[in-house]
Amino acid sequence: MLIDVGSTYFKVATKNGISHHFRNFDKNIYDDLVFKCGDEIKNYEKEDIQICSSANGGLSTLIIGLTESFSLKYASNIAYNSGINIIETVVYSQIETYPVPSEMLDVVIVVGAIDSVENVYDQTLIDYLDKLNYSNIVYVGSKTQVEFLNKNIENLVILPNIIDNKLKMVEDDLKEYLTNLYQADIMGKEDIKKLYDLTANQIFSTPYIVNQSLPLIHTKLNVADPFIVIDIGGATTDIHYSKDLVDDNIITENEYDRLVFKKLGVYKSRESLVHTAKNNEFVYELLAHLNTTENMLDDKGESATKLLMKLSIFLVLYKISHHHKSYLNIKLDTLNSIVLTGGITKVLDDAEMEDIISFFYKKLLNYDTTPTLVVDKDYAIWTLGMNK
Amino acid sequence: MSLLQRDRDIILSNEYVDNFDFAEVEEFVKNASKNLFISHKFKTNKNKTLVQPRGGFPTYDKMYALYEQFAPVVDVLPMTIDSHTRLNDYGSAAKMLRLSEETETDLLNGYPLINHGYRTTRKMVTHFDTPVSLRHGTPDARLLIELAIASGVFEIEGGPITYILPYSKNFPQDKAFLYWKHVERVCAKYSTLNEPINRESFGPLTATLVPPCITIVIQIAEMLLSLEEGVKSFSVSFAQTGSLNQDLVTSKVLRKLATKYAHQIGVTDATINLVYHQWMGAFPRDKFKSDSLINAGAMIAAMVGADKIITKTRAEAFGIPTKEDNAQAVANVQYTLNMLRGVPSFVDEEEEENLTNQVDEIFEAIFNDKADTLWRKVFNSIKNGIIDVPFSPHIINNNELITVRDKQSNIRIYKKGKLPISEKSFKYEQSKIDLGENPDSVVNQIIHDIGVML
Amino acid sequence: MKVVIGVVGNDIHVVANRLIDISLQSRGYEVFNLGVNTYLEEFIDAVIETDAKVLLISSLNGEAEGWCRDLLVLKDKYKLDDVVFVIGGNLSVGEGDESQIVPKFKEYGFDLVFHQKDLMEGLDELNSFVQSKFGGEN
Repeated sequence: MLIDVGSTYFKVATKNGISHHFRNFDKNIYDDLVFKCGDEIKNYEKEDIQICSSANGGLSTLIIGLTESFSLKYASNIAYNSGINIIETVVYSQIETYPVPSEMLDVVIVVGAIDSVENVYDQTLIDYLDKLNYSNIVYVGSKTQVEFLNKNIENLVILPNIIDNKLKMVEDDLKEYLTNLYQADIMGKEDIKKLYDLTANQIFSTPYIVNQSLPLIHTKLNVADPFIVIDIGGATTDIHYSKDLVDDNIITENEYDRLVFKKLGVYKSRESLVHTAKNNEFVYELLAHLNTTENMLDDKGESATKLLMKLSIFLVLYKISHHHKSYLNIKLDTLNSIVLTGGITKVLDDAEMEDIISFFYKKLLNYDTTPTLVVDKDYAIWTLGMNK
Repeated sequence: MSLLQRDRDIILSNEYVDNFDFAEVEEFVKNASKNLFISHKFKTNKNKTLVQPRGGFPTYDKMYALYEQFAPVVDVLPMTIDSHTRLNDYGSAAKMLRLSEETETDLLNGYPLINHGYRTTRKMVTHFDTPVSLRHGTPDARLLIELAIASGVFEIEGGPITYILPYSKNFPQDKAFLYWKHVERVCAKYSTLNEPINRESFGPLTATLVPPCITIVIQIAEMLLSLEEGVKSFSVSFAQTGSLNQDLVTSKVLRKLATKYAHQIGVTDATINLVYHQWMGAFPRDKFKSDSLINAGAMIAAMVGADKIITKTRAEAFGIPTKEDNAQAVANVQYTLNMLRGVPSFVDEEEEENLTNQVDEIFEAIFNDKADTLWRKVFNSIKNGIIDVPFSPHIINNNELITVRDKQSNIRIYKKGKLPISEKSFKYEQSKIDLGENPDSVVNQIIHDIGVML
Repeated sequence: MKVVIGVVGNDIHVVANRLIDISLQSRGYEVFNLGVNTYLEEFIDAVIETDAKVLLISSLNGEAEGWCRDLLVLKDKYKLDDVVFVIGGNLSVGEGDESQIVPKFKEYGFDLVFHQKDLMEGLDELNSFVQSKFGGEN
């Protein structure tokens, strides 16, 4: 039995098929799950139940590093591929210019400089950290700083540098730590901790599971490399992409990397989604193409939600195209397949999604045809990942 | 439907492909003239080194004219693909093709096969009824080779290592292995219909002081990855090293170990051919020197008993060869080869033993890698520096191996980096090197060695 | 002494890059080679992560100017006045006039500018410059 605890609903897969149930936020996760699926759960041994979770929008992290091209890029890549959802980054030399996040962070990652460099961090870092609220903190930078940091930071986890002496990325230690963070962190969250009463297996984060399934995706869906998977859910929009679609100069074990757009969640970050849409120069043409106006964006009804979902497809493609300078630049012209998955597949139909993608390719890329769209309505990717 | 076929369907539904008809292509291959298959020519032309020149033009007419010039005097025709197509940018290739046709100038450095399409190209290929060889440099060749085979081009050059490490900075090496596995499977599939499709690895690599052990290891690795999938005819190749002695040893050891390792993975029914590239390094501008170099290369090809030679022209240092350059070079090579039928084979036994040891030592390390598939063993070996290609621009290449020439122009290992060759092998290499004490002497030596033919 | 090297912009001339790498190593430098097709921001970031004292940018295709304009801004932003900035290779398309090229690139923020200079001569000059600036420690 496979269970996915999402930010808006539970997904349950048994040999009878897949079902999903909207969550009741007045109950805690365990009670809610047992209330809805308790009978089914009783039919399975703990060893045969697998659970993954992206509840509460997933783990959040703040990364403090020295540069964009190395410390922050490497740490972000490892974090996203470990299933972390929210990532803020801070360039240490400019730390005074960054606002201090007020919300609780699941983990702070401090990284920077190869092992032979001294005098990297000083009291400025400590002062900044003192202003933060976080559950875990890990250091993966130059080993010359270990003594200083250990002395000044409580409960600091120290791992080998993720930058080696040739400036290449070393991912294993940090990746293992972050992937297991769910385990460690869950013990501090009563909500999810109780789920271990139901399963004897480690609980992983959902995006990590999805990312692991991708090398086998073509066994379940009509997809050919290179492809992208866009997962539009309630809290965030994820994109997984084949590594030959980017020029990022990183060598990893992963064939597919992942990036998260936290401002494009349709339920949890509706306002920032609307805001992003209103600030996009092409959205008005898109709205006209869809026979609607911007007033719909501020509406609260169901058709407004549908519209926002369509917009999020467009905005994701926009952000990864060469039109948008930051984030990443994906070679959208060599794509063979685009896969859409997530809550969106239950709300929009294939034609509606194809229409948006087609509009994007025609308007922004001047293409006559678009890559094949594959819709993962039945959570094939998730099932594949969970069974792996 | 098999996974392979599903992937092929998606890949071939590319907007630049005009309605690919799988069934028709299979019929075509099944009934194609044997003269189009180089694998067949290799079998029936046992005592001759096949001659293949280089060339490719953007427009159909110019390509046709090139073949008209070459077909009577060469054994294999080249189809060189342009750089945009190699990067799967069929849009830019289309634009440049159109401009080339309109302005009658060559705005592409090769033939944009995808844009011309297979129906058109097939007309040309079948007209000349001579084997055509696909020359490119494409990391992701899954679409290109389909159109090539559908056009009647039954030899595919390239491989996951030889088409990535010399050219690319960051194309993911693991993806390259998977994409080329797909290519091997398609070739193997077509090979059951008529004569086999021949695959050829690209031996020259960076053509800059590559030690023979690395060339041979990579050739055999690509061969094994191909034979694993059912390919039945494979050409291993290497470029003129700059030392006659080393060319002789390289060809002997390459042939010997290719057969040995093929048997080791249980393949005994594949034909393994040897291809020799004429000097691929910096070419002399002086026409007398370049003619002599081409002549010498032809002679060496005869001496090593190469099944095919890939020729250069005297225009190499200047740009695109003229019709005259092409004609002159081919005539030169054919004339020289004709003089040298039945050359006795001889090789320096000490060198042969040393080189054989080195290759075996490296393969032992590769096979000992913990991965469960051969491609991943090779991938890890590249990552770990067990395979290290001098002057590769790729971020995955280890770049610790340094080579220089000895007094007889043999390429020797000066610093071995992470190459897992034995102390004995390494000492042998070092014993041949003669450098001064000056720390600059290595680099000065390398600069001299790179320009050895100038 | 640590030095970051590489070829700037859309330039894939790898042989020169590798020869510079080997030469610097044989002269006792610790070399961080970013390879070909590298951009100015990456060079600067590498200097920061390695605490290198020298940045040596190569350009062989004559297009260096376009890729190096922001050097002064970045030097200022990351306080890199203590680092030696060197550029060498073919710094203009065609022959070019050294008396114009050298001052131009010095204005961009480079301490040493080598246009079509012999490799060993250039490295000798770099050595002297570095010794006088940092006091003769390799």
